[in-house]
Amino acid sequence: MKRNTLVLTAVLFILATFAWAGWANFEYRKQATERLLASAAQGELVPTAAGDAAQYLSPLQGKSAPAFTLEDLSGKKVSLADYKGKALLINFWATWCAPCKIETPWMVELRNQYSAQGFEILAVSMDDLDRGEPEKLSAEKKEIAAFVQKMKMPYPVLIGGDSISKPYGGLDDLPTSFFVDRNGTIVASQLGLTSKDEIEAKIKQSLAK
Amino acid sequence: MIARHPAIRIAIAALLALASASAQEPLFDKPSRSASKPPAVEYLYPEQLTLPAGKPTKVALHFRVAPGLHINSHSPSEEELIATTLSIPEDSGVRLESAVYPPGTDFALPLDPKTKLNVYTGEFAIQARIVATAGNHLVEAHLRYQACDQNTCMPPKTITAAIDVVGN
Repeated sequence: MKRNTLVLTAVLFILATFAWAGWANFEYRKQATERLLASAAQGELVPTAAGDAAQYLSPLQGKSAPAFTLEDLSGKKVSLADYKGKALLINFWATWCAPCKIETPWMVELRNQYSAQGFEILAVSMDDLDRGEPEKLSAEKKEIAAFVQKMKMPYPVLIGGDSISKPYGGLDDLPTSFFVDRNGTIVASQLGLTSKDEIEAKIKQSLAK
Repeated sequence: MIARHPAIRIAIAALLALASASAQEPLFDKPSRSASKPPAVEYLYPEQLTLPAGKPTKVALHFRVAPGLHINSHSPSEEELIATTLSIPEDSGVRLESAVYPPGTDFALPLDPKTKLNVYTGEFAIQARIVATAGNHLVEAHLRYQACDQNTCMPPKTITAAIDVVGN
């Protein structure tokens, strides 16, 4: 009887230890998963109605737009927080990206059309910058500035977008855009070139709340 | 003897069940998009060359662009676009004297049929004129390019074309 009690106590202790180890392992894996998703929150293309192009669904949708502070072409620091209360389109682009060049005139028109309603575009350049080499950096900034001037972009153009690519899902492909409502929540996203109508619909979505 | 005890059996079963379920990976392991993507351009051939040392020699270097993608030609239609360019590092025992690039083909994105891009798709060859010093050289030629599909573009990239060059 006494021996049975001892064995049973030992078994219960072992089971309790295993249960704790299992729970701790589950928590560890859960946290690792969350870290993985947060560090590489990449979207996926999901099919829509038959015949339509696949829609880009970013895991950032429904979440707060990741905060950032970047420089504009004059060296002034610009933060996402500076635009609190505005509906935003954060457009990641580059001078070497042909589809970006096609959508830019649409962006300019739409920005001018909706700015009175509290809408703004932040264009984040993903062009490489050689920060360690002042001469090269100056030439690279000039190239971006020339593009901005040529395309008559009236909205803030920020440089060094690579530094914020991770929280925005890696940004392996351009153009990529995020539509942010007045509360700072990402309400829509877009990977690649789509139509002006589709961009406008998403801008209206960002202004709706 | 002890293992025959029902409580011990339960404990052993629980141990085995927990051990099998306790893999140390995250619950959801998604490969990154860049890791899962095949390279946009690959070097095909030649892998080996034997040349007369010190004498400029023409060599065709063959590359292939992945299906569904295109890269800018050496003479892109717009100045901002990144031209495909071949280079050979200095001090590699082989000097790139000149390179003749193939003409690109016109390509328009479906949403902007009026704008013509000048691109390479599929296989293409660059006619390089190189000069090798005497001896064996493992040359790592570089091809810089920028690839896109019909709606998106990937950042500029440089790949290595490894060629074993023997200068006689």
